[in-house]
Amino acid sequence: MTANNSLHPASLQEYLWTRELSERKKSLRLPPPETILRYGAFVGSAIQCHSSLERTMEHARRHITDAESQGTSVISGTVILADTLIHSKGRFARSWHAPPGGLWGSMILADTFLTRARTLLPLALGIACCEAVRGLGVHEAHVRWVNDVLVRGQKLAGFLVESFRGPRYGEAFHLLGFGINVNNNSFPAELTDNAISLSRILDGPVSLPDFTLSFLAKLAWNIGLLCHEEERELHRWEGAEDQENQTAHLLLDQWKKLSDTIGKKVLYGYDIQQKPLYEAVVTGINSDGAIVMRLNDGTEIIEHSGELQYLKA
Amino acid sequence: MAEEIDFDAILSKYRADPFDYAEIYAAHTGVVTFKVEEGSSVNCTSGEWQHIPGSPLFEITRERNTKLITAKTNGTISSIRTELEGQFVEAGEKLLTIRHPLKKKEVIENILKEVLYLFPAPERAKYFFSLDIQSRIEKRGSKALTIQPGDEIIIMSLMKRDTPIYYTGEAGVIHSVYFTPGVSMDQGQALIGICASEKLPLIQKVITRVKADWDKLIDPVHAEE
Repeated sequence: MTANNSLHPASLQEYLWTRELSERKKSLRLPPPETILRYGAFVGSAIQCHSSLERTMEHARRHITDAESQGTSVISGTVILADTLIHSKGRFARSWHAPPGGLWGSMILADTFLTRARTLLPLALGIACCEAVRGLGVHEAHVRWVNDVLVRGQKLAGFLVESFRGPRYGEAFHLLGFGINVNNNSFPAELTDNAISLSRILDGPVSLPDFTLSFLAKLAWNIGLLCHEEERELHRWEGAEDQENQTAHLLLDQWKKLSDTIGKKVLYGYDIQQKPLYEAVVTGINSDGAIVMRLNDGTEIIEHSGELQYLKA
Repeated sequence: MAEEIDFDAILSKYRADPFDYAEIYAAHTGVVTFKVEEGSSVNCTSGEWQHIPGSPLFEITRERNTKLITAKTNGTISSIRTELEGQFVEAGEKLLTIRHPLKKKEVIENILKEVLYLFPAPERAKYFFSLDIQSRIEKRGSKALTIQPGDEIIIMSLMKRDTPIYYTGEAGVIHSVYFTPGVSMDQGQALIGICASEKLPLIQKVITRVKADWDKLIDPVHAEE
């Protein structure tokens, strides 16, 4: 059965080096946008399009395992798309509703990152999605730490990153899972108040292949930023870049521009649905992506992992 | 894992010196300014969420960036390198030692750590048992659960990136769990302590013996639970 959301790597490359590049040139002169795109251009080097899968993350693991058993390597940047998922799940085995109309998929990324870039990798997904959504005119889209994308307080997209080690050669990969409500308008009863789709926001359907192109191009850009910042960090270690020339981290800067988390009163929990822990006010984000919060007694707390829920101020 | 334990030797060691000694090193290069002196009492991190920093120990300044280092363990400063005050130090330079009075539970844990296989945290992150292991623990308890090398036992979570951790030690039961879900663990800290199921009686003997000898072991000043 042919997939409806069908995409070819060549289309993505063309989009990347024309539309995405010209958009980025409007807002960034240095470093040259071409440099950033070259770093991220491996995203979507191979694209699999399926009409239906059980879970794309599971499919990605199987793809790596199969490739290793045949003595071949997996192409880093391989994207796996499915029109619908039968047994999709989010973190902590939460159910994830993935009917036709949404953008459901995973990307396989070989783990070539240094520690800091690896830690910041999940931010790239939320940023890319938020940029793609704003590109459709939905300017009220924001990122909630770590990488949820919300519009009008309702969840438009969720992401998960899982690591996986190939069973034969032991090569480490990151599996980047994405679920974006594009044209799917019906949600299970328990999600109705908290979930929203792009077509509902825009009051009409969105071209899923076009949105997919835009999201993947922005993901390529943001992963490119991460790689570029990693190179700068290596230069700093080698003393090639003096302290005066240091600027803020470009990916973190972009996260700050797109997020509305800082300043919000929040409920924090490691698994917020099962075990919310405490209320606090978010005061910032650290250079390693950790969230900085102030508790009611005035003390500061820094969390590197967990989830937030916004509370009314 | 040790086959036999010389209880008398271990207990007399703790009887003679019922303290742990936490040596504090410079994490990176910089100029050091001490905030304590020899004999100062220091408190460890506290608060419901472990969010209240411990007592200030020293500041270290590198390239105009000053970092305050606080105590992670309570006790008294038993030695301090005062000659390094205001001096530039290299990463890894020993700066001071905190003498920490041991409680009964800590003595038991210390002895057990000598006989258990300790599985360390690969990165500073939060950890939780994998869903399968968690449900088996809930049903039967961790001591009824045997794990094998290669089993996916723990999920490491950092910035919403979840990494399955596969067990690499000897097969055995999970005797001790040193992490709490939702609380960060430093790289290298023990996450779980494993022992072969046939060694469980030996472990129980350690616990019983320390409990029985506790009053004789520790002077009344330190005889807290």
